[in-house]
Amino acid sequence: MVRTLIILMIISMISACTTSVVVEGSVPTPLVQKIPARMGVYYPEDFRNFRYQEVIRDAGTWNIDLGSQNLSFFRNLSDALFVSVKEVHEPPLTTEEMRELDGIMIPYIEKYGFLTPSISGLKFYSASIEYRIVLYNKTGQKIGDWNIVGYGKSEGGMFSGDDAINEATVLAIRDGGARIAIELIDRPAVQAWLQEVRAGSDVPAGAE
Amino acid sequence: MKHLALLALAVLLTGCASSRIEQVREASTGINHGEAMVILGRASYNEKQTEESFTDCIADALAGGENPIRFIPQEQFKDDLYPWFEPRTAPTSADELGRLFAQPGVQQRINEANVRYLAWIDGDTVTIDSGGSMSCTISTFGGGCFGVSYWEEDASYEASIWDLQTLTSTGQISADATGTSYLAGLVLPIPILARPGNAACKGLANQLREFIVEEG
Repeated sequence: MVRTLIILMIISMISACTTSVVVEGSVPTPLVQKIPARMGVYYPEDFRNFRYQEVIRDAGTWNIDLGSQNLSFFRNLSDALFVSVKEVHEPPLTTEEMRELDGIMIPYIEKYGFLTPSISGLKFYSASIEYRIVLYNKTGQKIGDWNIVGYGKSEGGMFSGDDAINEATVLAIRDGGARIAIELIDRPAVQAWLQEVRAGSDVPAGAE
Repeated sequence: MKHLALLALAVLLTGCASSRIEQVREASTGINHGEAMVILGRASYNEKQTEESFTDCIADALAGGENPIRFIPQEQFKDDLYPWFEPRTAPTSADELGRLFAQPGVQQRINEANVRYLAWIDGDTVTIDSGGSMSCTISTFGGGCFGVSYWEEDASYEASIWDLQTLTSTGQISADATGTSYLAGLVLPIPILARPGNAACKGLANQLREFIVEEG
């Protein structure tokens, strides 16, 4: 009985120093011109279940779970970006599987980080997320590979550090998504690939 | 009598804030029945950002009163036009509105919401000086606070008003307010708050209303 009590006390002491944030919030559907291509999208396991842990002196351990929020946002973003989207397994895909597709997109999360006011000395909680977007053409050759960083910050209340980190992270996802939605189509390599798609050709595009 | 005492206490506990409003007009304005306005706070990724509470204060002040203006909430507007009004993608000058309106769906969304004016609010409230000292003690025989501390705040904001019908800038209004707040410890801590941010909000909102409504 005493032993159980001690274990329970230790668990409660440890959990008191741990802040867990499951990122939640809504990000709207982008209002952009659809890229005229039929896209296969592969979401790697690390992307689907992205978690971040950091131990901060005086602020304990922070566990941030971006997985489902991030995945749901990217599904929405992909649907808005391309004329048609199909989730696929890990490339390479067979010729038969690529028959109805013009290319494959794979998003990765390269880095995630956050700052609390006690670390930055500012009035805000802030978060940043670095995405890497890789595009392949119909024959599996790489069209391009781009890193895009999203930033978000939130005015934190005295007792709402986890809420503020959640809000800053959603804003970082939103900011990164905005840049992907606006900038992807303007990349020279994407434009070259789209010309091939229009021409119905599978000539490899020159990577940037 | 009780109400009078409360009123006197409230006046006593409110510090003074002095404010200055300036206006530059570039084009004539006026708003028709049913037309709406949007107030957006400028955000950047350095240490400065217009507080959401300040833009909310302006929107609340303009939506009430004698000549209320119809407002589209900031979040709704940004969501409806995502990704074009995000901190790093939003137009930085009215000259960029033409390019933005050429994007598919953007002009249609703005027309559907019947938004006539967009006001960008840029600025913040900062503490520019502080001093004094106050200490509080507590013991088995009781406790109390003694001393005086003060802090001086400067609220500096500018509104840039764009006409979404003509795609031009119609003018700017700036509001500056300063005030010193005190915390006096006379057994109980007594705050005397100046609230320059509130003074800047009221001054800017009143001027903005005149700017939009009162010129035909």
